[in-house]
Amino acid sequence: MSWWKENVASRIRHYPGSMEVEKYVYTPGVHGLEQAKALKEGKILGSKCGDTIYVPPLTLCPDHKPGELVEVKGPWRVVTYTVITETMDGRKLEKPEVIAVVKPDDAEGGLIHRVESDQVYIGMEVEPVFKPEAERKGTIDDILYFKPK
Amino acid sequence: MRPNIHVKNKVAVVGAGLTLFRRRMLETPRELAWEAASMALESAGLTLKDIDCIVIGTAPDAFDGVHLNGEYLADGAGGVNKPTVRVYVGGGTGVFVPIAAWWHVASGLCRTVLAVAEEKMSPAHPHPQGVFAYIWDPVLERPLGPNLIWIFALEMRRYMHKCGAKKEDIALVSVKNKANALDHPAAQAAAKITVEDVLNSEVLVWPVNRLDISPVSDGAAALVLASENEARRITDSPVWVEGVGFTLDNTHWYNRELGYPRYVQYAARMAYKMAGIERPWREIDVAEPYDPFDYKELHHIEGLMLARPCEAPKLLKEGHFNRDGDLPTSPSGGLLGVGNPIAAAGVMKVAELFWQLRYEAGARQVKKPVHRGVAQAWGDLMQAGTVIVLGN
Repeated sequence: MSWWKENVASRIRHYPGSMEVEKYVYTPGVHGLEQAKALKEGKILGSKCGDTIYVPPLTLCPDHKPGELVEVKGPWRVVTYTVITETMDGRKLEKPEVIAVVKPDDAEGGLIHRVESDQVYIGMEVEPVFKPEAERKGTIDDILYFKPK
Repeated sequence: MRPNIHVKNKVAVVGAGLTLFRRRMLETPRELAWEAASMALESAGLTLKDIDCIVIGTAPDAFDGVHLNGEYLADGAGGVNKPTVRVYVGGGTGVFVPIAAWWHVASGLCRTVLAVAEEKMSPAHPHPQGVFAYIWDPVLERPLGPNLIWIFALEMRRYMHKCGAKKEDIALVSVKNKANALDHPAAQAAAKITVEDVLNSEVLVWPVNRLDISPVSDGAAALVLASENEARRITDSPVWVEGVGFTLDNTHWYNRELGYPRYVQYAARMAYKMAGIERPWREIDVAEPYDPFDYKELHHIEGLMLARPCEAPKLLKEGHFNRDGDLPTSPSGGLLGVGNPIAAAGVMKVAELFWQLRYEAGARQVKKPVHRGVAQAWGDLMQAGTVIVLGN
């Protein structure tokens, strides 16, 4: 157990300091707004640069030009994965969580997301599960997880 | 009698681009960088394929709220799969970006460089002042609960005392620069104001009022630099980098004479020596001194040896630094008028010299004929001075 997990700042010699920035309010960007709209509609976008589609959609194609946004349909496959058993502060999770890189067959790149399966393997075919439409906010969390097909 | 150092290649600026400067832009850092970079490339008639190396400049990661911000926006700046480097010396970064680009080309390492500076100050809430708080010493200074403007209030008061300058003398800088910016298409804080408006605006940290100070901004700016051979192929009117200089003083800013920016003078001497300039007050035709605060322009004019110490307020009153004066300063409108997205603001100043020296500044073009210009930025705890001399 590391000292920071026990919260023992009072026992070490120090000068106090705190972050004065409470939060960041990031702008979505011209490109990001389109992605947000698509997620609300239950779609995942990629950007088409020449003959190649990139996921997540690159802001800029390798030729330094903005690509055309197109929907990516999959099927998606697990490229690699890890299993999370405890939280940052050492609390045991009730159920281990699978985090994976998933790649659609029709595009380059991939997404990092949760996979809901206790029998995950590399190459496993998966598909996205979205939140109910009313609850979607246009963020990556609108995808709940990927589940085996 | 120049250059006074050996360089493999002479270096020219051949293109420039600039986004709008605004309090909050929709675009992400990489989209802003892309916009400025594309404009600079287009103005030089080049594409990214013609560029050998990339130099990126952006001030603390904490403004954009992205760690390794230079790498984050590299694809926008055209830096993916190319030799790319980010440079950073606080507020001095803007002028340090073309300086770094200069040595990339002068050394023979690269023939063409795309130099991109970006800053997005709007994400940090409640105010980017929260980020500036971290430049203070955590042991000796932060327990007092300072904010950035304290430094400038202390320095401005010292300058006023040492030089006998009055608030109304200093306010003239803000009046001049904000009026100059009326002709700048990217400007955020252009305005026709009077000295009374400045004096009557809200006191932030006495003696600094709201209109004494540049705004918080998002924006990006870019330049294309090339070796002599390439430059002559690209354009008929290259603008040569004749001298560069940079100096760092220590962080104990209150241990030095605040009325005179010694670190700027050292950087200026380095740049002037390289450019073969002995009497800058006569040999420089147009200047873009760093003006995040109005007194700072006067302070830096003196540091750049364009006026004797304490002489700048008098010359300003006589119209010496106006756009139609003998030595126009901040004809762009400066940070006070155009805006202050930190690193991008410095590149904006160098871009202004580029346009002035090519007689492409339109309504902002200074009245006198121009051969040489100097741009300068300053950063950190009033300790980093960066200076570049351009000539046509």
